[in-house]
Amino acid sequence: MVKIFIDEKPVEADDSATILQAAEKAGIPIPHFCYHAAFPPEGSCRMCLVEIEGLPKLELACSTRIREGMKVFTQSKKVIEARKGVLEFLLAEHPIDCPICDKAGECKLQDYYEEYGLFESQFEESKERREKKVRIGKDLILDRERCILCTRCVRFLREVTKTQELGVFERGIHSEINIYNGVPIDNNYSGNLTEICPVGAITDSDFRFQTRTWFLQKGASICPLCSRGCNIYIEYHRGFPRFPLSKRVYRIKARENPEINSFWICDIGRYGYSYLNESRLLKISLNNSNHRKCITWENILYLLSEKIKKLYYLHRTSRIAIILNTWLSNEELFLINRIFKDDLKIDQIFTVDNPQEKGDRFLLTEDRSPNRRGAQELGFTPEPLKLASLHPETELLLAFDPPFSSPFRSTETKEALEKIETKVLFTAHADEWNDHFDIVLPTALIPEKEGSLTNVDGKIQRFSPVFEPCGEGLPEWKILVELAKQLKLHFYDYKPLSSPEIIFQELKKQNLYSGKAK
Amino acid sequence: MEEKVLTKQFDLKNLHKIDVYLEQKGYSAVRKALQMKPKDILEEVKKANLRGRGGAGFPAGIKWGFVPKDVDKPKYLCVNADEGEPGTFKDRYIMSHNPHLLLEGIIITSFCVGIYTAFIYIRGEYEAIALRLEQAIAEAYKEGFLGKNILDSGVDLDVFVHRGAGAYICGEETALLESLEGKRGYPRLKPPFPASIGLFQCPTVINNVETISNIPHIILNGAEWFLKRGLPKDGGTRIFGVSGMVKKPGIYELPMGTNLRDIIFKHAGGMKEGKELKAVIPGGMSAPVLKADEIDISMDFDSLVAAESMLGSAAIIVIDQETSMLDVLKLVTKFYSHESCGQCTPCRIGNSWINKITKRIAAGEGQRGDLDNIERLASNILGKTLCPLGDAAAMPILSLVRKFRQELESHIKIE
Repeated sequence: MVKIFIDEKPVEADDSATILQAAEKAGIPIPHFCYHAAFPPEGSCRMCLVEIEGLPKLELACSTRIREGMKVFTQSKKVIEARKGVLEFLLAEHPIDCPICDKAGECKLQDYYEEYGLFESQFEESKERREKKVRIGKDLILDRERCILCTRCVRFLREVTKTQELGVFERGIHSEINIYNGVPIDNNYSGNLTEICPVGAITDSDFRFQTRTWFLQKGASICPLCSRGCNIYIEYHRGFPRFPLSKRVYRIKARENPEINSFWICDIGRYGYSYLNESRLLKISLNNSNHRKCITWENILYLLSEKIKKLYYLHRTSRIAIILNTWLSNEELFLINRIFKDDLKIDQIFTVDNPQEKGDRFLLTEDRSPNRRGAQELGFTPEPLKLASLHPETELLLAFDPPFSSPFRSTETKEALEKIETKVLFTAHADEWNDHFDIVLPTALIPEKEGSLTNVDGKIQRFSPVFEPCGEGLPEWKILVELAKQLKLHFYDYKPLSSPEIIFQELKKQNLYSGKAK
Repeated sequence: MEEKVLTKQFDLKNLHKIDVYLEQKGYSAVRKALQMKPKDILEEVKKANLRGRGGAGFPAGIKWGFVPKDVDKPKYLCVNADEGEPGTFKDRYIMSHNPHLLLEGIIITSFCVGIYTAFIYIRGEYEAIALRLEQAIAEAYKEGFLGKNILDSGVDLDVFVHRGAGAYICGEETALLESLEGKRGYPRLKPPFPASIGLFQCPTVINNVETISNIPHIILNGAEWFLKRGLPKDGGTRIFGVSGMVKKPGIYELPMGTNLRDIIFKHAGGMKEGKELKAVIPGGMSAPVLKADEIDISMDFDSLVAAESMLGSAAIIVIDQETSMLDVLKLVTKFYSHESCGQCTPCRIGNSWINKITKRIAAGEGQRGDLDNIERLASNILGKTLCPLGDAAAMPILSLVRKFRQELESHIKIE
């Protein structure tokens, strides 16, 4: 450890740390554009210049290593003037089209001007005219007038994806970012470019002109679209009082986690969020019944529990079948285990395996569901669904529907379902296939509930709700606890299991995990 | 008449051919050096106070000393023959007239530092000279001065000529390395310095052609002899390239510390008929300009720094009274705006901005405050860029605006 002084405040940091890293650790902001913690320092934006006692020139905070006793000044007159100078240069050749720029509100150039600039423009010349809409990837648009040439994008494609689609072309004031020979960026991580671009130079067609960033709320979550468990932020719109919006989620962003996804997420995780917005099931529905109107969770759970109880007392629990999926949280799987396996002694519990897809050897895995490993560790064996092999006298089916590649939406399953007396579907999505079930119950998706998931490497990650479930939807854990309470079979006291946190503690107590809890 | 060292035999016909060169006791410095211990060569070069002739004036011996001794990587020598500083035309003469002198210097330097591969990075425009160098190298291989086991000493050395593609920035040592590696000529962030991490991430010595060409003479005649040809802290002669409004423009090899007035009026024959001296740029375009009354100055690194200018590449550009300083400013700003590599913000945008203002003034649309603005912008470039190109642009601009403000203001109509 080395001790230095930043603005006279003593700061300790690792020997190998740079001034910028030491300052960030101590909560002292040093503005920068080109530096990104994922890459070696580039030193080209010149925004992070600081004064060091004993040195005649200002030095780069991003690349200068700290030395014992070093005295750094980040607020001296020289430093403030230098920052203004850099901002003045950048803004001189910047279109300042913030009112129509998607980055406005989270733009570093805008923020730094507010914080360190606030000068009148003295640029009286005509700005360079550049291309404002260059398609550099399927969904990526480059605005060269906004670009400040920090080259984060170039370095990302060189050092992270190693695909090297972008480069700097031309020289001096004519320097510009471009693709080589018109070959567009085509990799599964291209969306990260919009995120690391400190200004609005690279935007994606998904978010372009959709909303203003300041309308968005953000919540931390886990990406459930494969078994990697990348850490994400979900950005959503609360809506306006008298102006309903067609969607809630607007954007997914990467959340740094050095152990899992570093600073990145894949495009499948970033852009595959429409399932959170579209075709959501809002109400409990009873098909083939005349009581559609007055159903509540309370009476539907009563109805279900009565049915289960009847079969239990008649020693016919073998006629109950449960179909699970690898989207359920560890807590939910734990409850299912306890209620249906341990208490009710039901044999017919199946876990539907997700069809395997191609992984990309970086973050995206072959398994496109979030908790296969968790299910396995809790004793479930994912397998292809074979409704036909169910007990021929099966009377009650409880089916948990995964959001993608649902096994219940095919003609085959439809035929098999017809033989079963009562079919209950737990699903987050409305669909015509739902009509083949007798009772369809709206459930919550990962960002709408609390729980934990075990990723492909056995890492257990807890997640909290970002927003409420849609309509009457309830998280599965809650439905299960309520159902168990309704059963009143006095096997196990479910009343204390009032939150996923408590269930998680219960899980830990039983040492059901091979991985490390986090 | 002062004694010439580097250009002494330039008048000799076919000096560039190895048989002529050998007749002149050529390669005797190599023969002598190979009998010496590398550390003794280094000592001699250090004692000679040979300062870099490329522009920065860094002592060559000290630079070599920075190269780590025990590394398992190869070490490289890069001879900077990019000679792009406007006004400079000295290295081309050494390479075209006396290429074997440069090769001798390369062999001795490589032997001293423990280098087996050397590159001559020559500017693309010097095509004929590059060919001549290649011929000289081929001759040297044939005579056993290059290749495996040079003169049975057990020392190996290969020399390659690499032609640049015409960018001024590639004369900056780290941009030169990038270019040599086949990449875009962008300067690197320092530290690390090339002596520890240079070409292909290996320890690398980078020296100017003139610097390296002095080495054989230091080895043959000793450091003391060399110091006598210059100044105690600044050994040897210097090839001054005089251009502009003088009677005899050309290269003049003179002792370090020769008076600038003497160079212009004695050696270069004085001002052209009917011309009157107005200003002198003493060390290539990057050097701050001197006014006519500031030219009684010793042409060495330290004296010029004291006069807030620099010796740089010792290219003396003589400007007469009829030349408009606005034209000079326009030329300077156009050049740096054009040659800025574009990597860092102040140089990329600052130089373009200053150039735009200057062009506007020249178009008769100057405004009150334009010169203040140029001064302010140049100050925001100075000392704040990634490589020395920013300073190289800001320094002459600042000196022009400060020293010739009245004249420049006369181009701005103020209503």
